[in-house]
Amino acid sequence: MSGERAFNVEEIRELVRIVSESEIVELEVETGNLRVAIRKARTNASAPTPQALSPAPPAAPVERPPEAPPSRWVPITAPMVGTFYRAPSPDAPPFVAEGDRVSSGQTVCIIEAMKMFNEIQTEVGGRVVRILVENGAPVEYGQPLMLIDPED
Amino acid sequence: MFRKVLVANRGEIAVRVIRACRELGIRTVAVYSEADRSSLHVRLADEAFCIGPPPATDSYLNIPNILSTAELTGAEAIHPGYGFLAENPRFAEICRDAGIVFIGPTPEAIEAMGNKARAREVAQKAGIPVVPGSNGPVHTAEEAATIGQRIGYPLVLKASAGGGGRGMRLVHSPQDLTRAIQAASREAEAAFGSGELYVEKYLEEPRHIEVQILADGKGNVVHLGERECSIQRRHQKLLEEAPAPGISPRLRTNLHRAAVRLAQAIHYTSAGTIEFLVDRDENFYFLEMNTRIQVEHPVTEMITGLDLVREQIRIAAGERLSWSQREIEFRGHAIECRINAEDPANDFRPSPGTVRGLVLPGGPGIRVDTHVYAGYTIPPYYDSLVAKVIAWGRDRAEAIARMDRALREFEVVGIRTTIPFHRLVLENAFFRRGEVYTNFVQRRIDLSALPR
Repeated sequence: MSGERAFNVEEIRELVRIVSESEIVELEVETGNLRVAIRKARTNASAPTPQALSPAPPAAPVERPPEAPPSRWVPITAPMVGTFYRAPSPDAPPFVAEGDRVSSGQTVCIIEAMKMFNEIQTEVGGRVVRILVENGAPVEYGQPLMLIDPED
Repeated sequence: MFRKVLVANRGEIAVRVIRACRELGIRTVAVYSEADRSSLHVRLADEAFCIGPPPATDSYLNIPNILSTAELTGAEAIHPGYGFLAENPRFAEICRDAGIVFIGPTPEAIEAMGNKARAREVAQKAGIPVVPGSNGPVHTAEEAATIGQRIGYPLVLKASAGGGGRGMRLVHSPQDLTRAIQAASREAEAAFGSGELYVEKYLEEPRHIEVQILADGKGNVVHLGERECSIQRRHQKLLEEAPAPGISPRLRTNLHRAAVRLAQAIHYTSAGTIEFLVDRDENFYFLEMNTRIQVEHPVTEMITGLDLVREQIRIAAGERLSWSQREIEFRGHAIECRINAEDPANDFRPSPGTVRGLVLPGGPGIRVDTHVYAGYTIPPYYDSLVAKVIAWGRDRAEAIARMDRALREFEVVGIRTTIPFHRLVLENAFFRRGEVYTNFVQRRIDLSALPR
């Protein structure tokens, strides 16, 4: 994917915002051959499942060759307001770096709130494709912290 | 004075507090839920932080996230507005422990007035008449029956922790007591987390008149006159005015004095309101005290020319009251209409949605406090207040004429509002004569006359 026009952090944040404020369960956006997919992490059985969306036919089925499986990056969002830290202590190495593989349940960062250090775990396994927040920066509720490519 | 204040609220009152801060040269931090990203208070504040998902319990009542935001942004004080955390003594206490100033009274004062049965006792001790009833909470039907025998029926059961009519029951005879106590207690338990009840005599056609006070915690307490708030529906105020029309100078003076006395008795600090019921013979009874800024505070601001929110902030910063009682002058008459996203022709059903078009009224004597703009979507999660229209006139007739004119100018496209209801009230002959009481809407307003 190098050399392609990438989404910047603000754009991805805006997309997450659009999805979270709407009834939309899943959203895919493509520019060049980079594609971002945002899915709501809801496991409510009674809620409409993404199945309703997935059979949507490709726009131009005949002309295009079948594409590689879309990259479905999943954001890890802040579950609380606080200060984002990438490492357990100032001298320790960061929990994860871009390009690292993570498995579901693995701690990826810390959010300090009310003098408490809260370890944040990823709910999906995959590869860390982006870290969106600077070490030591304040984060608000729901702010995307990292993007995980679950299929990598 | 503070350099930065966090506003722990939303809607028009968050906008109101931000305005006061800006005039004082204080930077502001807004907090908002995911449903309020596009709300006006988020745009107006110097900084804004998302603190949780739409339900208030996870966002505007989320104490850890609000305090974290204050800490991260370096806010020295928190203004709670009204509702949400404004009368939560635990929150005021946590702020104090965290070294953040709570812009409001002490946790002790909130606690003392928050329990309605206890507040009655405090008022009685201060020599203020209370509605005849139980001294403190009532636990059994037998206890209530004994009181009923003494004060007579009908009587009202009320929730100690309550407000807004929930956990309240009118009881006409001793036979109905047991069932009413069970129902009221259950409702109070569900609404306030406490099923504790107390008993009061039911007053026929009382007026609801309240007195605004300000206290600086340095021994200075002033009143800013009274407000008439009898135009209510299901115990929710819809229209308020100041001064109260048609009361005697003697009653007026007595109400003001009682309010100041109560504030002094509990060593009150900040802005507060003491609510009274007044019967047809001008007997008055303490109802409750609200330890916060109130929705209807602008009518008092209009007749005194003072800024109550500014004064709250100054007092919280440790400053003295800006004026003595003698320096406070009352001029003219003011009326406030609460414009809610409700359909008055359909039992005031909530009407959230997108405001596609908006023309706000203006002109002489009109003030509008709102967080709504064209294109704004009113989320369904919070209260239905979309705007407050306040009209000032040299006398009541001029204030009514201006309000009527302003409501004709006010256009809201996309949602239903209470504007047509207010126009019915304003043209009502009884209202125009100042003959109001808490069941005015049921008795005098024909809601079927509203356009559907």
